[in-house]
Amino acid sequence: MTTLSDWSKVTRPIPVPNEWTKPFWDAAKQQKLVMQRCQSCGQFQHPPYPTCTHCVSVDLKFEPVQGKGTIYAYTIMYHTGDKRFVAAVPYASIIVELDAAPGALMAGNLLDVPYTEAKVGRRVEVAWQKLNDDFTLPLFRLAKE
Amino acid sequence: MAIWENRCKVAISGVGYSKATRTAERPLAAHALDAVKDAVADSGLKMEDIDGLATYPELPATGHAEVDGISIVSVNCMMAMLKLPNLAWHIQTGSVNIGGAVQQAVNALLAGVCKYAVVWRAMHNPKGTYQNLPGQYAAGASQFTGPFGFGGPGQGMAVAYTRWLEQHNKNREMMATLAVTQRKHTQHNPHAYFYGTPLTRQDYLDSRMVAYPFCLYDCDIPVQGAVAVVLTLADRARDLKPTPAYLASYGQRLHFEVAGRIGSLSSYMLGGSSSAKLTWERSGFTPKDVDVAQIYDGFSASVIYGLESYGFCKEGEALDFIQDGRIELDGELPLNTFGGSLGTGRIHGLWHIIEGALQASGRAGSRQVKDVNVSFVGASAPIVTGTTFIFVKEPY
Repeated sequence: MTTLSDWSKVTRPIPVPNEWTKPFWDAAKQQKLVMQRCQSCGQFQHPPYPTCTHCVSVDLKFEPVQGKGTIYAYTIMYHTGDKRFVAAVPYASIIVELDAAPGALMAGNLLDVPYTEAKVGRRVEVAWQKLNDDFTLPLFRLAKE
Repeated sequence: MAIWENRCKVAISGVGYSKATRTAERPLAAHALDAVKDAVADSGLKMEDIDGLATYPELPATGHAEVDGISIVSVNCMMAMLKLPNLAWHIQTGSVNIGGAVQQAVNALLAGVCKYAVVWRAMHNPKGTYQNLPGQYAAGASQFTGPFGFGGPGQGMAVAYTRWLEQHNKNREMMATLAVTQRKHTQHNPHAYFYGTPLTRQDYLDSRMVAYPFCLYDCDIPVQGAVAVVLTLADRARDLKPTPAYLASYGQRLHFEVAGRIGSLSSYMLGGSSSAKLTWERSGFTPKDVDVAQIYDGFSASVIYGLESYGFCKEGEALDFIQDGRIELDGELPLNTFGGSLGTGRIHGLWHIIEGALQASGRAGSRQVKDVNVSFVGASAPIVTGTTFIFVKEPY
């Protein structure tokens, strides 16, 4: 029995950006990772937010970041309640902390390897996946390094 | 901080329950009404004596219509059913869970704006999938989680638990002790959904995965049901039928990280420890003084965060702490003595508050822990919000 999740029949829901999150999705469409950074204290944060969650400044800008980091936490989903993802069960949903943006945690999936490879501390890198003409999603694969 | 000047001035008197069922055979309003009537009768009061109402009505399922009386029971719905002639105060809280509603009722009683307050929690089990996510879009906070298959609270809680297990190098199988011990306690609680249904360690180990590290028995089962309490000032409570459970202190602390995740990952101790610190300081007690504890267990891992953040054990030690009979009815810290949410079904933290009160007033029947004075309650998942209480038998 394979432990590779089959993503081919998954219908991922399409993100609906708002004024705070649009720059993230605009950059993702170009396969570029940007993260919101406080221009006062330097802290990165994700998801984007109207104020800095560290120092409460409103002087926030999106800055390009490298898509390399470590698995901060993960879960393996076995439940088939979310019908859009039934075909991929079991699959690894992971939380990643990027090297370039410590403290900012982003959700994703682990691709190309058995879901049993998801472990806290594993090195990962962004793998872009086009969702439609407007959206490209940042997913992850194990880092080659 | 000095000890709270209002300690032991408010008490829980009556408690009440509806007959919880797996599916929504009767409208939720009927369950809430049953529970409220039961609690008022337990106090020996007449319904017309009730002049304060509070609840936290949220349905934690997604993708289901919110219909008052069917999927939630708002204050408005309860008012319409009870037609209280002397109603003087009411509120429904939108954060800090049902514990926050109880705390608001305490404040109203202390302020003298009502005399007998009823707080209820009614929980609906919708038809079909609990987290019903058929949509094509992920808007709001879910735009950063939904596209990756984070479909419900289970996964939000599971990621924190995985991190905890791997950071502290612990095995999820150790959690079997919690599930089995709580199910044993459940057999002393005829109001619990799993009353009459035992659970073995092997059942736990063999059960199907839901969202690793959570198996089926790490998750409370959705039910249709309601519970309720009557709160009043201590002087009035002494004139009522039940032995009062005196509220020594409470604390609260909302603690989400930023939108998009359920619960806190990087600072999971903060909500619980902040709430508990207020509770310990206001009461003058410490964790070592506690004779019995109820700690919210909608997902089993919430008990870990509770035990650690409230100060019953050190970070990373909770799974060891629950072993060796420590949480049995005659153990060092009897825990979730009513069976917890894992035993009663998903009715949230008011059940924990009820049991904390029953243990303090010596009314817990065959599951009564011996010689209880200090009874601790953590009524919510502390990685989302801390709401903590101490009830005592002896006012001081």
